[in-house]
Amino acid sequence: MAAAVSIQGLTKKYLDVWNKAEITAVDNLNLEVNEGEIFGFLGRNGAGKTTTIKMLLGLIFPTSGSATVLGKPVGDTDAKAQISYLPEEAYFYESMTGWDCMDFYGRLFRIPEPQRSKRIQKALEDVFLDPKAWRRPLRGYSKGMRQRIGIAQALINDPKLLFLDEPTSGLDPIAHRELRDIIVNVGKQGKTVFLSSHQLPDVELVCSRVAIIHQGKLLASGTIQDLTTGDTVEISADRVSESLAGRIRGVVPAAELVGQRLHISAADPSKVNDVVDLIRGGGATLLSVKPHKRMLEDVFVDVVMNEGGA
Amino acid sequence: MVTLAIAKQTLEDMLRRKILLVLLIIAVGMIALGPSVGFLSPRESSAVLRSLGLAVILLAGLLITILSGIQVIPTEIERRTIYTVLSKPVQRYEFVLGKFLGGIFTVFVMIAAMGVVFLSVLAWQEKRFDPEMLKGVVLTFFQMTLLGALAIFFSTFATPVVNFFLSFGLFIVGNLSSVTDSLISNKNPATRIMANAVHYIIPNFGNFNLQNKLIHPSVEISNANVFIVQNIVYAVIYSAVLLLLAILVFDKREV
Repeated sequence: MAAAVSIQGLTKKYLDVWNKAEITAVDNLNLEVNEGEIFGFLGRNGAGKTTTIKMLLGLIFPTSGSATVLGKPVGDTDAKAQISYLPEEAYFYESMTGWDCMDFYGRLFRIPEPQRSKRIQKALEDVFLDPKAWRRPLRGYSKGMRQRIGIAQALINDPKLLFLDEPTSGLDPIAHRELRDIIVNVGKQGKTVFLSSHQLPDVELVCSRVAIIHQGKLLASGTIQDLTTGDTVEISADRVSESLAGRIRGVVPAAELVGQRLHISAADPSKVNDVVDLIRGGGATLLSVKPHKRMLEDVFVDVVMNEGGA
Repeated sequence: MVTLAIAKQTLEDMLRRKILLVLLIIAVGMIALGPSVGFLSPRESSAVLRSLGLAVILLAGLLITILSGIQVIPTEIERRTIYTVLSKPVQRYEFVLGKFLGGIFTVFVMIAAMGVVFLSVLAWQEKRFDPEMLKGVVLTFFQMTLLGALAIFFSTFATPVVNFFLSFGLFIVGNLSSVTDSLISNKNPATRIMANAVHYIIPNFGNFNLQNKLIHPSVEISNANVFIVQNIVYAVIYSAVLLLLAILVFDKREV
């Protein structure tokens, strides 16, 4: 699969206010985002997520390293025509109406009329912005409506790649869910989404792969499944006698018997066969054996805390 | 198309700024009230109105140009609207040119509005239309175009406050061209070098001031029309150089 974003050794250092000590915002980052995937870019506030995105868009320049976007060097105008960006807490021209704002961005993409008007209408419909608000100035928009305009302006060029920086932060639960669904729909259309967020439940739901960055360094990356599949197994069984439970506890001391039902969690996978053999040989009914799945949030906390990120 | 879209957005944004509208209203009010100075003779009253009108247009134009020029790019960065513009297939030179043109269109609209009121009031008072006064208004606009280019250049690397003092300071110094011109022939070599530097590097804003001739018709300028065209060409070329420098600086700027 071709890489929509390819980052090699990207580093960004800033001088402090005295122009002396260096602050490393992004430190030798290597990353690949495949075409057509929704990629979660995770990190705490100040981890270097936005700095990385801004380098990929050519808004700021790397101290060292390089990157390509859609196979072209960063800043390439042809590539920019096929990408879009929703900044964190996006601000727009307040006096413009929603439609005029979209028209302005359509012009920046050099989309001619009447195609531009059609694209504007489709984008505004795709983000479920109330048509009554289309001709109202943006200054009267709620935060949720602004985010919808933000996503709509990011869709107007029918992009191959979207950079979304914290698109759901600060939204009420309904707007939050609607925005999340919009991102899922965008992914279903085959577009690549580079989603920077610390809304981990969202990321777990919508992303296929993630990377965790902390203090500018890449700490972990992989598919959600790889990262959240734990090395423990949960076993449930019914009609377990006290004597059988005793024998099982001889193998796995944490086995818990409730009535005649046995629950074993955090079992050592190497002992799974022994426990299953005991259950089957002891006349009990094996209900399930399933690998324990961790929440992405737990993975994130573990990875960051292990790096001294308290 | 992109440059004009940015210019149009800038113009619309500027025309909604209350401070600029207040300046315009005050300026137009002062010009319109000029003939009400009733204790002067008709000839004196006419000279006062000519003097007042051109001075008000110059002063209001100066404030409008500086306030527009020092803000257009820093405001985009401060409001973060620049992110959604420069992340699109927009070249940085298109952004700078669009912002400059938007600012200059704003100044044009403002000076045109003041100019129309001024020329109308003057025509009403003198019972005739004096096309010579239009030249003064046009030269003020090109003087402001040059100042706007200077402010845009500084705005690519300086904060608005620093830019204000730089632009305003250079406008004052650039208006002292007759002084620096005389210092060029000074005996002291250090003074000569300094005067030369100021005279040839700093924009010569003083050459755009036709007030003296226009207020006092007895003051003659040889080849007045050539002088005006020369000044317009000077403003255009100098502005183009400043914009080129602004583009070079902004191309390296992180936003």
